Amino acid sequence: MKSRGVLLRPESLLVVLFIVVFGLMSLLSPTGFLRPFNIQSMAFQLPEFGILALAQMIIILTGGINLSISYTAALSSIVGSVLIVLMNAAHLSPAISITAGIVVMIAIAALCGAFNGTFVAFVGVSPILVTLGSMTLFDGLSLLITRGGAISGYPFAFLWIGNGTLFHVPVPMIIFVIVILATYFLIDRTSFGLKLYMIGANPTATMFSGINVKRVLFVLYIYSGLLSAIAGIIMSSRYNSAKESYGSSYLLQSVAAAVLGGTDIVGGSGSVIGVVLAAMILQVVSTGLDILGFNRFLTNVIMGVILIVALSLNALAGSRAQRSRKSTPSALVR
Amino acid sequence: MQTKGFRFWRAKEFVIFVVLVIICAIVTIVNPVFIHPSNLMDILLTNTVLGMMALGMLVVILTGGIDVSVGAIIATVTMIVGNFLAHVSGNLLLAFLVGAGSGAALGLMNGLLIAKLKIHAIVVTLGTMSIIYGVMFLLTGGEWVTQEHIPEGFKSFGRIVFGHVKTTSGGTTGLPVQFLFLVAAVMVTWALLRYTMFGRGVYALGGNRISAERAGFRIDRIIVLVYLFEGILIGFAGVVHTSIMRQVDPNAFNGFELQVIAAVVLGGTSILGGTGSVLGAILGVALIAVLNNGLILMRVSSYWQQIVIGLVIVAAVSTDIVQKQRAEARKTRVDVEITEGARS
Repeated sequence: MKSRGVLLRPESLLVVLFIVVFGLMSLLSPTGFLRPFNIQSMAFQLPEFGILALAQMIIILTGGINLSISYTAALSSIVGSVLIVLMNAAHLSPAISITAGIVVMIAIAALCGAFNGTFVAFVGVSPILVTLGSMTLFDGLSLLITRGGAISGYPFAFLWIGNGTLFHVPVPMIIFVIVILATYFLIDRTSFGLKLYMIGANPTATMFSGINVKRVLFVLYIYSGLLSAIAGIIMSSRYNSAKESYGSSYLLQSVAAAVLGGTDIVGGSGSVIGVVLAAMILQVVSTGLDILGFNRFLTNVIMGVILIVALSLNALAGSRAQRSRKSTPSALVR
Repeated sequence: MQTKGFRFWRAKEFVIFVVLVIICAIVTIVNPVFIHPSNLMDILLTNTVLGMMALGMLVVILTGGIDVSVGAIIATVTMIVGNFLAHVSGNLLLAFLVGAGSGAALGLMNGLLIAKLKIHAIVVTLGTMSIIYGVMFLLTGGEWVTQEHIPEGFKSFGRIVFGHVKTTSGGTTGLPVQFLFLVAAVMVTWALLRYTMFGRGVYALGGNRISAERAGFRIDRIIVLVYLFEGILIGFAGVVHTSIMRQVDPNAFNGFELQVIAAVVLGGTSILGGTGSVLGAILGVALIAVLNNGLILMRVSSYWQQIVIGLVIVAAVSTDIVQKQRAEARKTRVDVEITEGARS
């Protein structure tokens, strides 16, 4: 986003792509895809995925990757759900048990984020490895608690978060919009956000310009964990249960959305709007293929292809930007 | 690779070896069945596939790459081999050719994409993982190849053992034939890394890509060959796995890539590439193997196993980094370059 104000802003390209994909699906299945019911169900499905994509994107901005987001979401919602279900069974008022459960979910996710952040920022292990270990760990903890089953038995009011509407707008959508605004404000309007881009572009230079890189990264991983918790809350409410496998398919897709949204995979550039648009495009594609009667496995294949094509375009744009930069003898580096 | 004065007790591998011995001792004290020869043979048999795949992953990680699609590749290879055995021919040699060939093709696809797109391998292989699994399930419908469809000749090959070891239940077993494939894979990988120009290129590329390029290594070709080699090893591992299980479950390898990567990393291989050894990778596999087997023998709930392995991965990579930082700090203070921060 920052230095890429070339001819076409990637965001406008994504808007065009969204319109094309949406139009294509509408043409192919006018009765199915454009049904109000379908549009509404997409509006309920998009937020949990979009929030996870943002949780992924802010980490990729710093040149890292977070493989543990969906497992953080699952673990936090499982622990919180156990509490809600226990308190509900003890006939405590729904308001108290739901509030307590959500506080616990957020606290657990913050701990998960702090775990990742400690090892990435203070120990200095590469993010891939830390989150590879922590995803195994979080998944294991989730399994230990649920024994492979699902936790259910919420008070009815809890289901409103994922399934209710406020002024005809789905509640998850409202949460999503708040998350988008908060994240946009955080990374594009604060000095903290500027530091993220700087770390992604050159961590060593950032450190020598007097920025506490370790603290910024630590806080960022906690923020990524918090976003995962919000996605986890929406998912558990929407599915009326909590399970260790919920959201695991979003992991790959979150990377795809971040990259398709113009986030540079090596860090340093990317935009919230781009990632949100990319998440919308992927949601339309997967729902559309589903409605057209495509096999679920074929949808997987297409998602994988989209990721690789998006990456190739990203790499192409990157190398073109490299060439247009005059100063360094880049010919030697290729 | 090791520097001039290689002393085993100073090497990273020695630390891993000591940890391995300590864990073995603890498990043995808790449950002496652990050191019973038949249990050891069982550990060898069940971890041959992990070992072969770890060797492939080692070579990939040495170049600074990574491959998270290995689970999808071996699942697909076993499905191809299983269906080939069931419907085309029970010929052992052909089965190995088909397995190695399909593994090679999938590895080649990864290699070409990574070399030509010049994108970090983790993202490319995340994509190909989804594609390979998708196509495989699309074509097979996710149906198992059951025991009765595997030809008798192939099954009896899988049962071959060398020597006689009494099992605790009174039967006899021995060194499984499958283990020979792991031995062969170790020797080939070791020779390739130690004695060929390709091996030099692998370490050079992982150490410093630009220097390697200027030294005249053909980077793209090394990358393609590395993933091709890994694919071939996975191909053989797929046939070996089929001979052990005598049936094919398309979901058998869900999440297996993590164990493979964990084994290589536990073996002291730097995830950034450039350092690591065959010995280390094998010790890493042994560590995972002993942990898996030992936790069962110590009657730890299987739900804890994943937690323990996750913790071990984080602990292993952290101590590695801390050691490196200490070594760095001991060096001359004149150089102001500080390796710091969040690069992956």
